Amino acid sequence: MPHETFYSDLVCIGAGLAGERVAVEAAAAGFKTILLSLVPPRRSHSCAAEGGMQAALGNCAMGEGDSPDVHFADTVKGSDWGCDQECARIFADTAPIAVREAGHWGMPWNRVEAGKALCFKGGVCFEVDEKPEKQGLITARAFGGTAKWRTCYTSDGTGHTLLYTLDNKVTELGITVHDRVEAVSLIHDGETCQGVVARCLKTGALRVYLAKAVLIATGGYGKLYSETTNTVINEGGGQIVALDTGLVPFGNPEAVQFHPTGVVPTNILVTEGCRGDGGTLLDVNQERFMHIYEPEKAELASRDVVSRWMMHHIREGKGVPSPYGPHLWLDIRHLGEKHITTRLREVYDTCRHFLGVDPITQLIPVRPCHHYSMGGVRINKDGYAYGLKGLFSAGESACWDMHGFNRLGGNSLAETIVAGRHIGRQLVEYLKGAEATLRTDLARQAVAKDEARIKRIIAGSDGKESVYEVRNAMQQVMMEGVGIFRNGTDLQKAVDDLQVIYARSKKVGLKSSGIGANPELAMAIKISGMLRLALCVAYGALTRTESRGAHAREDYPARNDRDWLTRTLAYWRDPNGDLPQLEYEPATKVFHLPPGDRGYGKCEIICREEMSE
Amino acid sequence: MASIDTAIYVKPPSRASAYLDWLQMLTGAGLIAFMWSHMVLVASVNLGVNVMNFIAHFFEATYMAQVGGPMIGATMLLHFVLAARKIPFTSSEQGSIWRHAKMLHHQDTWMWVVQAVTAMIILIMGSIHMWTVLTDLPITAQKSALRIQGGFWMVFYLILLPMVELHVGIGFYRIGVKWGFVKRDGRKKFKRSENILTAIMIFIGLVTIIRFATLAV
Amino acid sequence: MSRQLKFNIFRYNPQDPASVPHADTFLLEETPSLTLFIALNKLREEQDPSLMFDFACRMAICGSCGMVINGRPGLACRTLTSDLPAEITLMPLPVFKLVGDLSVDTGTWFRATNSKIESWIHTDQEFDPQATEERMENALAESIFELERCIECGCCVASCGTANMREDFVGAFALNRMARFIMDPRDKRKDADYFEVVGTDQGIFGCMGLLACEDVCPRSIPLQDQLGLLRRKMGFIALKSIFKRKG
Ligand SMILES: Cc1cc2nc3c(=O)[nH]c(=O)nc-3n(C[C@H](O)[C@H](O)[C@H](O)COP(=O)(O)OP(=O)(O)OC[C@H]3O[C@@H](n4cnc5c(N)ncnc54)[C@H](O)[C@@H]3O)c2cc1C
Ligand code: HEM
Ligand code: HEM
Ligand code: SF4
Ligand code: F3S
Ligand code: FES
Repeated sequence: MPHETFYSDLVCIGAGLAGERVAVEAAAAGFKTILLSLVPPRRSHSCAAEGGMQAALGNCAMGEGDSPDVHFADTVKGSDWGCDQECARIFADTAPIAVREAGHWGMPWNRVEAGKALCFKGGVCFEVDEKPEKQGLITARAFGGTAKWRTCYTSDGTGHTLLYTLDNKVTELGITVHDRVEAVSLIHDGETCQGVVARCLKTGALRVYLAKAVLIATGGYGKLYSETTNTVINEGGGQIVALDTGLVPFGNPEAVQFHPTGVVPTNILVTEGCRGDGGTLLDVNQERFMHIYEPEKAELASRDVVSRWMMHHIREGKGVPSPYGPHLWLDIRHLGEKHITTRLREVYDTCRHFLGVDPITQLIPVRPCHHYSMGGVRINKDGYAYGLKGLFSAGESACWDMHGFNRLGGNSLAETIVAGRHIGRQLVEYLKGAEATLRTDLARQAVAKDEARIKRIIAGSDGKESVYEVRNAMQQVMMEGVGIFRNGTDLQKAVDDLQVIYARSKKVGLKSSGIGANPELAMAIKISGMLRLALCVAYGALTRTESRGAHAREDYPARNDRDWLTRTLAYWRDPNGDLPQLEYEPATKVFHLPPGDRGYGKCEIICREEMSE
Repeated sequence: MASIDTAIYVKPPSRASAYLDWLQMLTGAGLIAFMWSHMVLVASVNLGVNVMNFIAHFFEATYMAQVGGPMIGATMLLHFVLAARKIPFTSSEQGSIWRHAKMLHHQDTWMWVVQAVTAMIILIMGSIHMWTVLTDLPITAQKSALRIQGGFWMVFYLILLPMVELHVGIGFYRIGVKWGFVKRDGRKKFKRSENILTAIMIFIGLVTIIRFATLAV
Repeated sequence: MSRQLKFNIFRYNPQDPASVPHADTFLLEETPSLTLFIALNKLREEQDPSLMFDFACRMAICGSCGMVINGRPGLACRTLTSDLPAEITLMPLPVFKLVGDLSVDTGTWFRATNSKIESWIHTDQEFDPQATEERMENALAESIFELERCIECGCCVASCGTANMREDFVGAFALNRMARFIMDPRDKRKDADYFEVVGTDQGIFGCMGLLACEDVCPRSIPLQDQLGLLRRKMGFIALKSIFKRKG
């Protein structure tokens, strides 16, 4: 059967903020661009970000004196010196432009209102006085780990509004969008990437997209974990197709961020503001416990620290049992009705709609859960993927790498459009020089291979494993072994278990017919790819014998700049193997800010040799 | 950047839909005003035969009935033509709105269905009624009572009355919400008052019919 | 106290010649805080892996999961079964093209409508990366955001009798979107431009004021108020043009 084939200059896999921002750049330069997405672009995960994005505009009173330099320093410290400082520099310098540009395109940023206003911090009220000359300029709010108020926002819908603004731009430019299309593999000749084999999720048919350049902007891989704030479509599709080439490395797979307060059972994020304003965490006996572990900061210690103690407490058997597993309580009752229905309105609504819980009188069930993927397709500072010409990546799917081992709140939304803008421009330069010979024979080979694989899955030729059981087993292992705290024993067990599950994943067979837009088939096609990603994460974590940012090893609690000021590059070179090959490169080529103390999250540091004396 | 010059037109945009919508609303409002005056006229019989006769005579002496009557007829026809743009006539449209209304448990949607159905009934019965009354001028309480006591007209009015009042009441509500005279906060209250108004109107109408039926001629 | 839930779910796979539209019944034990998101996934994983439905964010923010729940369009992810009777009937949203079972193609519809109404800022001002941003009152930014909160879930369109009867009616979502641009000083379109887009029977004058849109909108967008404002505004633009032509 001949497959529908589409030709273009650029095909973007992923139409979230990053994919669309790059597409806008290419289309504006006159290049034919096609956006692919699992869902209509406006439903991409980017729409879920509420808080805001960081850019050093320095308009609001609490942001006075801010500059890209300060933003840069915050970002590097946040990354625990794991980031590429050249990228962090480009990022901090471009962020203000990207924010203003979004404003120019219609983003209704909140603005400075001159005069005195009351604010809260840690439940304490204080006054700020906004300057009249700043009236009407883009304002900002506070976020964790920043020296200044720098997070630009639109109420509690920054990601949503930004995504709609960009998608409007995409509509204006008439960019072709194919939604409900899932990339299955990349078409390449070992040197250059020439396109994508994709499956239409409306009909189930395979399609070919041939292009001079391919961009991967598929977001994170949160669904390797069962408990994540990510959307259900963040399954690492982009990382899978890149890794499967055997040529492109997965950068820092082990760098995964956890958030303390996801609600149980749906893992919807409830804001840190709850604790900031004086909320407390309770255990099964409805007693506070954080002050035992962290006498000074208690509930207000940093994200990773609180998450770790919460898991520890649950492991001690102090969790509240529930049909969805043990959890803890978040108590904000004492803040009172007025405070809860005004300043914590989102939390109030979430509790009522999703839990049927009234937080004014009842406790909120919470548990730490996966939140963000720092790792991804490794690219250079201009967005070129390592290992394959014509392949680019941007956004959460990429390891650009400005986040290192911990990304700051507000920096990922910013990354999507800042990196998107920068990488888009580099991509345009690439396209100007790219030759136009697209090889249909390669496409035919690639699609035939995928087709054969799909046929076997439908027929159950390799086995009859249930895809959902395999997926659930993987998620379970990831939660237990590669979670918030990590240690050699658990990680080794996780890797072993994942290898067994990986073998099972190759024997998946369908229970249903597989006809049309069959959801079971969609999951079956990617499940072994997801396991390869999971193995990269687990194996990367096992091998990295230090603690850095979100990667916290109980058996190696120190940050080891002597041996581990590096970035993991995981390759999957042997299609029949069941472990990635790990290589390492220096975390950064240039040091604008030499490794030092972050100023929070106390941690022992093993210094680099040249600095140790 | 593709900048779009929106100032140049091949042809000016058609305003027709806007005018027709204005007219639909205005004829509707005009008919409401008429129906309320009509109510005063007819219900005045409750205050006494002479009161009604006096009012009726006044309208005829000033030729308002002779001219106004046909004008109301024309307005109703115009209103019908305008509103007909919205009424589902093809069976597929009828099918879809009917299926839709049944699926959706939603009062305002049902109210519209009522409006469309009553409209057809009013069109026919209202025309017959107007023809009858206007070809038999002058209007007097006695003649009306005789008609109603005949039985046929009693049944006729017992059907027409609630139809008209429902249509008018819902129409009044709809003008309020469609044109933004009534805002989100006021809608619930407005709907309740409109329902009460409709009930009162039907009640007065019933009293009037009973009054005619029991009027000694 | 836990109930046995009975789900009646619309089934049809247009890609499968053997499939005919029908309803399937599933039973499921109710658990605390059970949402339709969790329930449907359980049904798919444990009872029928071919069951098609759409979720993405599962936090009522992406608009993927609109479906007709016991006769009302709503977001399945934020619907608790405890708010429903023990028998739950699920149907796909009408108006949109069916992908299969509970899944409909909202993407194509919204993209087409957005380009029809030209849902973007029209300006010939170039962006200057070096310049400070243009100022705007915070209150205005907030009112724009109030309308911008729409998540294109399609519930308003699916619940609208007019949209069900007439294919070319753009629906409350689009009218709200236009109201948002009319409010925005950065959009340099003139009254006549807006009128051309929404001053028609496919636009605001097609709306019959059924207000189901207002009643089902999961984001509580002030649709009634925006539709009212828009009708008046477009009405007066038309009236003004009479006098202009005369004058
Ligand atoms: C609850 C929550 C709150 C957050 N809040 C903030 C915040 O306040 N500030 C902040 O800075 N960051 C925040 N983040 C993080 C931020 O939202 C994301 O990192 C960012 O939006 C990612 O954008 P993206 O464009 O890279 O990817 P996404 O928006 O995830 O887009 C991925 C795209 O790829 C497509 N896709 C995926 N796989 C495939 C495939 N195989 N084939 C084809 N298409 C595919 C998808 O359909 C989608 O269009 C938050 C995250 C969460 C979970
Ligand atoms: C005395 C008689 C009538 C009165 C007082 C009356 C009044 C009204 C009013 C006030 C409205 C609301 C207008 C609007 O929404 O813009 C309305 C709407 C309507 N009328 Fe009438 N009407 C009368 C007769 C009729 C007749 C005879 C018909 C048709 C056969 C009719 C059909 C309709 C329809 C279909 C609507 C709904 C239009 C829409 O929703 O857009 N009406 N009427
Ligand atoms: C100019 C036109 C009209 C005139 C002069 C008129 C006159 C009258 C008169 C005299 C009566 C008393 C009963 C009778 O004599 O039979 C009456 C009753 C009635 N008329 Fe009309 N009418 C007019 C138009 C209408 C229209 C357009 C409608 C509705 C569509 C209507 C609805 C009724 C009803 C429902 C009654 C019953 C009385 C009641 O209980 O209120 N009339 N009308
Ligand atoms: S207006 Fe409301 S119901 Fe309509 S699409 Fe937007 S959010 Fe959904
Ligand atoms: S339901 Fe439809 S008719 Fe108008 S008021 Fe809403 S768009
Ligand atoms: S899944 Fe996103 S709105 Fe329900």
